[in-house]
This record gives sequence, C-alpha cells and structure tokens, in this order.
Amino acid sequence: MTRYLAVFPSLNQVALVKRALLREGVYVDMTRTPQCLSSTGCSFALRCSERKLSLLREACVAAHIRLGGIFEEDVGTDGPVYRLARPAD
Amino acid sequence: MIYLDNAATSWPKPPAVVQAVCRALEAAGGNPGRTNHRLSFGAAEMIQECRENLARLFHIANPLRICFTANATEALNLALKGLLSPGDHVICSSMEHNSVWRPLVRLQESGVEVSIAASGPGGTVSAAAVAAQVRPNTRLIAIIHASNVSGAITPVAEIGDLAHERGILLLLDAAQTAGAIPIEVGTMHVDLLAFPGHKSLLGPQGTGGLFVSEAVQLMPLKEGGTGSDSSNQHQPDILPDRFESGTLNTPGIAGLNQAALYLLDRGVEEVRRYEAELTQRLVIGLAETSNVTVYGPPPGETRAAVVSFNIGAVDSVRTADELERRWGIASRSGLHCAPLAHRTLGTCKTGAVRFSPGPFTTTEEIDIALRAVRELSEKA
Repeated sequence: MTRYLAVFPSLNQVALVKRALLREGVYVDMTRTPQCLSSTGCSFALRCSERKLSLLREACVAAHIRLGGIFEEDVGTDGPVYRLARPAD
Repeated sequence: MIYLDNAATSWPKPPAVVQAVCRALEAAGGNPGRTNHRLSFGAAEMIQECRENLARLFHIANPLRICFTANATEALNLALKGLLSPGDHVICSSMEHNSVWRPLVRLQESGVEVSIAASGPGGTVSAAAVAAQVRPNTRLIAIIHASNVSGAITPVAEIGDLAHERGILLLLDAAQTAGAIPIEVGTMHVDLLAFPGHKSLLGPQGTGGLFVSEAVQLMPLKEGGTGSDSSNQHQPDILPDRFESGTLNTPGIAGLNQAALYLLDRGVEEVRRYEAELTQRLVIGLAETSNVTVYGPPPGETRAAVVSFNIGAVDSVRTADELERRWGIASRSGLHCAPLAHRTLGTCKTGAVRFSPGPFTTTEEIDIALRAVRELSEKA
C-alpha cells in the first residue's frame, strides 16, 4: 500500500497536527524527514495512508501551517522510494 | 511551615505536577525535536500538549505562538530587547519589577526613550496616566498586571483599548497573575504576554513563556539549534522555533502541563475567588492591628494575592525572620526586586514584609499569621 509523507518545517507543527488529528480519532505517525527529501536541513514529517492524507491537509489549513511538500513512499529494492506528490505550499 | 511566599514561587505544587516531573526524568527522557525515536517524539507531543493547555488558559487561538522560556524574566527580556530599537519610545509604570525596569534602563542607554506612568497612592496605574505619556514614536506599553509589592491590579483591558486605538503594542508582565487572575489576550489587546510557570501557574521552577501575537516581529534573544531549517545559518522565522534555541526544559514543561490541567479543572476564576477571600482576610486583619501599616489598595478593594506591611519602623527582614523562627511562617522581606515600586510606596528604607497566600493556603493559616503579627506589633 502506498504511504505518504507530509513534510513540515518544524516538529512543533508536526506535533500540533498529529494531536489535532488524534482528537478526531485519526492516528498518523511522526517521523524525521529522510535527508534526501529535506531541502532545508533537519525537518520532520507525518506518515499516513492516502485516506488520511486529505484530513491531514485539512488540519494544516485550519492551523495555517504550510507544508514543505507531500511525497509518495513506496518500497523499492534498496529501501524506500519517494516521489513528489505535491510541492511545498 | 505556613507558606505565605507564593508570589516568589508557589508551594506546594499539585501532586500531579511532581509526578509528571519524575515520570519525565524516569521514562520520557528524549530530546524533543532532535532525533528520530519514540522518546523524542513523546517529549515533543507532551510539550505541544502543554502549549495547547496554556493557550486554553490564556484564550490564545494558536498555541504555536507560545514560546517557552526559563522564566518570566527571560520572556520579558526577549520581548523588550527583541522589539525595541533606538528612537522607539516605551511606557512602563512606576510599579515595575526589575525584570522590566533593568532591561529598559539598558535599552535607554542605547537610545530607546522610556517614560514612567505614575501610579496612584495604592499602586494602581490608571489608563489615563498611561495615555498622558504617549508620544508619536511610542512603540510599546510594557506594564505589570499586578504589583508584586502592593498587589494593585492594573486595568489591562482599558490600557489595551488605548494601545489598540493608537497602534501601540502592549506587553503584559503577568508574573503575579498568570493562573491566578483570568487573562484573555484577545479581548485585552495583549500583543506580548510574559508569564512564569512556577508562580500562580503552579508549575516547576525553570519554566515560563512568552506569547507573541501575529502583529509582532521580534528579534531573537539567542540563536542556535532548533531542530528545524538546519542548513539555514540564520534563525528560522517560524514560531516557536525562532525563540526556542537549545534543548527545552522537558521535565519542567511536563510538570507545567499538569499544572495547567489542574488550573483548567479547578478554574482560574475559582482560584481567584478563593485567594481573594484569603487576601481580604489578611488585609482587614492587618489593617486592624495597631502599629501596622499595610500598603496597596485599601481593605475591601480588589488586589492580587499579595499583602505587604510593616510593623512600626521595625526592619522588614527582622520581622520576617521572627515570623519564621517563632511561628514557622514563610514570608518575603526587603525590596522584592522592585525598587521602583518601593520608591512609589515610600518604603525604600525599610522594605516591607510580604504575605502572599496561594490556592492551598487555609483560613486557619491566615489567622495564625495575623495572630503572630499582632503579637510582634504589641512588643514593637
């Protein structure tokens, strides 16, 4: 199953959105953004299914948080493979 | 011990605060925002939860506008030094604590203009007194919410209206009120709110914060690692990262989070009502004691849970020492780091003894303190 990585500029924003989703009964995973996707150095991300992605984006809009991009994450032979699904806001 | 020094730091703390600090040290020791494991993420989520609970207490719409600091002093320094530039004008009151006054003196030496709005005899600063000091280049009104010496409460909503109408920013020093007197940053037009975590918010020492409204652009007081935007050699623009360089006080914030939950559950209005009753009992009892001078608003008038007094011309340190030695009463004597306020009240030479009850002080303890002062005054 395809997973998505929503990249945020700050872990504080990640924590806010994760908790906002949790209050709606939606669980998403926190993770550090893979270095290959992090154009600005260290950043953090939320990993979720396609079904949860629209809820995640709604939560970002509600909190006035601009995402640093959304990436599709697939399993490749040498590890995860990423494809840009939506550029940074 | 009868603890009447809650204006310095509250004690005891709710048990959940103590447990949360211990739990954070024992089982949740990750560094938030730095690494990629569950201890680190758990710490980050707890810190966010604390921001959200503080936002609920102060009616702040966006919790990410709350930046953690080590105390109110650091928050005030960040607000004042991060905002004001040479040529700016700032108004404070004659009741300010050194945590506002000393940064302002330093800024004044570098070209910031400073005016003092004089308080009335009880220590209350009116909106009219502030308005009289406004100049065309007034950038900021920095005002104490309640005096840590007289207990006088500043009419913040009126001053907020004045600031808002004239396009002046308002910095509120809530060192004596955050958690004890309701604060609504929106309706009060507060642009910057500095608060300690360890006083009326009932959290551990080493915690505090600054709310920064969207209307304010501040320069950071310190630069360093934020766990974000690392390849940028400058501080990130986003809040709270911009002002939270270095590892946060995670155990302290864990305790502060539980303290905020305690206050949300008990209600700040209820704490205010309870402390106001104890405070009036103290003020009335002390005012009725011969040879005792009570400072601040007269009996029956509203004030924060702070009551300063002297017995005749007795040195305030001596009175406080005797109160502890003979009755086990913890108070605070001297100038309370607020010489400006003592100058206003005319108590620079003697200082004053300060009783400050808290949400766990009992009526019986207040009565013992009153009996003790009565006995000391009879011998003075």
